Amino acid sequence: MVLFASQSEFFLTERNLVTILRNSVDLAVICAGMTIVIILGGIDVSVGGILAVSAVIIGRAYQAGLPDILVAPIGIATGAALGAFNGLLIARTRVPPIVATLGTMYIFIAFLFLFIGGTWISGLPNTLSFLVLGDVYGIPAGVFVIGAVYAVAWALLRRMPWGRRVIAVGSDEGAARLVGIPVNRTKIEAFAFLGLLAGIAAVLYVARLRNVEVNIGTNIALEAIAATILGGANIRGGVGSLAGALLGVLFIKVTQNGLVLSGVSSLWETVVIGGLLLVVLVLDAVEKRGAG
Amino acid sequence: MTDPLTQRMVFLLSVWAAVILLSIALSPHFLQGSTLSYLLQYVPIIGVLGIAQTVVMLSGGPGIDLSVGAVMSLTGLAIAGLFAAGMPLVLACLAGLLLGAALGAINAVLICVLNVPSLMATLATMFTYGGLALALTGGSPIGGLPDWFAVLAQGRVLGIPNHLWLIFAPIAAALHVILSHTITGAHIYASGNDETAAYLSGVQVAALRFRLYVLSGCLSSVAAIMTLSWFQTARPDAGQGMELLSVTVAVLGGSHIFGGIGRISGTVVAVLIVTTLQAGLQLANISQAWQLGAMGVLLIGSVIADDMVRDRLRGRLAGLA
Repeated sequence: MVLFASQSEFFLTERNLVTILRNSVDLAVICAGMTIVIILGGIDVSVGGILAVSAVIIGRAYQAGLPDILVAPIGIATGAALGAFNGLLIARTRVPPIVATLGTMYIFIAFLFLFIGGTWISGLPNTLSFLVLGDVYGIPAGVFVIGAVYAVAWALLRRMPWGRRVIAVGSDEGAARLVGIPVNRTKIEAFAFLGLLAGIAAVLYVARLRNVEVNIGTNIALEAIAATILGGANIRGGVGSLAGALLGVLFIKVTQNGLVLSGVSSLWETVVIGGLLLVVLVLDAVEKRGAG
Repeated sequence: MTDPLTQRMVFLLSVWAAVILLSIALSPHFLQGSTLSYLLQYVPIIGVLGIAQTVVMLSGGPGIDLSVGAVMSLTGLAIAGLFAAGMPLVLACLAGLLLGAALGAINAVLICVLNVPSLMATLATMFTYGGLALALTGGSPIGGLPDWFAVLAQGRVLGIPNHLWLIFAPIAAALHVILSHTITGAHIYASGNDETAAYLSGVQVAALRFRLYVLSGCLSSVAAIMTLSWFQTARPDAGQGMELLSVTVAVLGGSHIFGGIGRISGTVVAVLIVTTLQAGLQLANISQAWQLGAMGVLLIGSVIADDMVRDRLRGRLAGLA
């Protein structure tokens, strides 16, 4: 942060910080679900595809003249349904989550192309953009959206029996099964929850940008995984932190923003995120070695 | 016919036959010579990457290398860049192979020394290597390779491209022999089946896997060299999507994602299935979308089918005991 602040006097202005926040909303919302799925011992590389398909359906629904009150639930339901499909596939067929979601990623992208036909959907209404761009009593609205999503996710994970089940499945699936936890149902529910959040992210995305591009959501799965791992989640399952994931999101978005303001080509973004992820993985491994 | 692995091979060959028939039905142009030549030029590239993925998966861990495509892009650019800077092309290719090995060694250190799960480690390096390929070139391709270099992938003997004769076939054959007829091969299968048992019987599991990740990096740069010779330019996104394709091919060919089961021959037939399907759909003017969708269904379907094979294999072993 200090480094970027010294590179550009614009970095620490209020306007820039609000911009960073607005750009982080979609990723932050998705990361809440990704954290839960990773705690469960799963992973979902298809969230970008879910986001994309939901966004296209939202765009098409707007074009069909449906009002916000119908469009937003349709988008969110689409996300939840696609997430549940992932969960069902993983729970029923024992296909490892990484492979299953790689496969569904292809399938979702295929749907995206079919619906969108290679062109942008643009000029969508801005009636919902207050959710991201507006502010309440001087506080950007995005803060409330992120706050609400994380409050729900936190309550589910830490204050409900369901969260205990997720942690149990992620820590030791066999043991969880033996003590009578409905492992398959928990998996389906966790993936569906992530899908639902991807649907919400799609609503926010459309609200913010008012268009749907062909390459929507291409990097978001990897960014979400990186943020979650940066935030202290263990990729082997059982351990993870919602607050940590949120910090991870901020870290990634601040880095991206800082690079742009420092005049570094945006092409370096991927290198930096990948490099950060590598550093975290190495630190984590070295720490474990020291402990062992 | 009762051997599950033989059944798998019969299954794969039938799928291939079905895909060929489907392609002929979809497009009358499929049987023309140009399709075949395109297929044969494409096969060695996916084939080499698929073989790299197969070997990494076989050794278990669970092992996967998601960085193959990114290594391919980066080494391709390095070779073209070094040549543009005045290095003789053959030396540049050797340097590319070394770079591939070095990138593979970074993966190997992360996975085998630091014990980072292979999925996470290679996801991170895929990002980093792929990002470097784009960032260092500003996204633009490097061209200017000499015409004689095209002989490798565009020249042919008896209608079959040289790189299939000279690179793909020898590599596939050598690895097939290593896997099925040498102690190293037996050690690879042993590590994949039960790493503790393998370790206790004296197999240096970590060192073995280390070498396989380095090999995977090398093979990815071999794929880069063949692509360079085919297209005469190095594109920063040359390997994009190849990681998924190589995993699809390995799994479809019968390699188990958690190791211990798989054959080079299966992977080779799977490469034929995938390339035939792609060429067939392309010729039938079926949109990119359906091609991607078909690949997704193929990937998931093949894992489910593979699981069933493994179950039967387990059942048979239990029956023997």
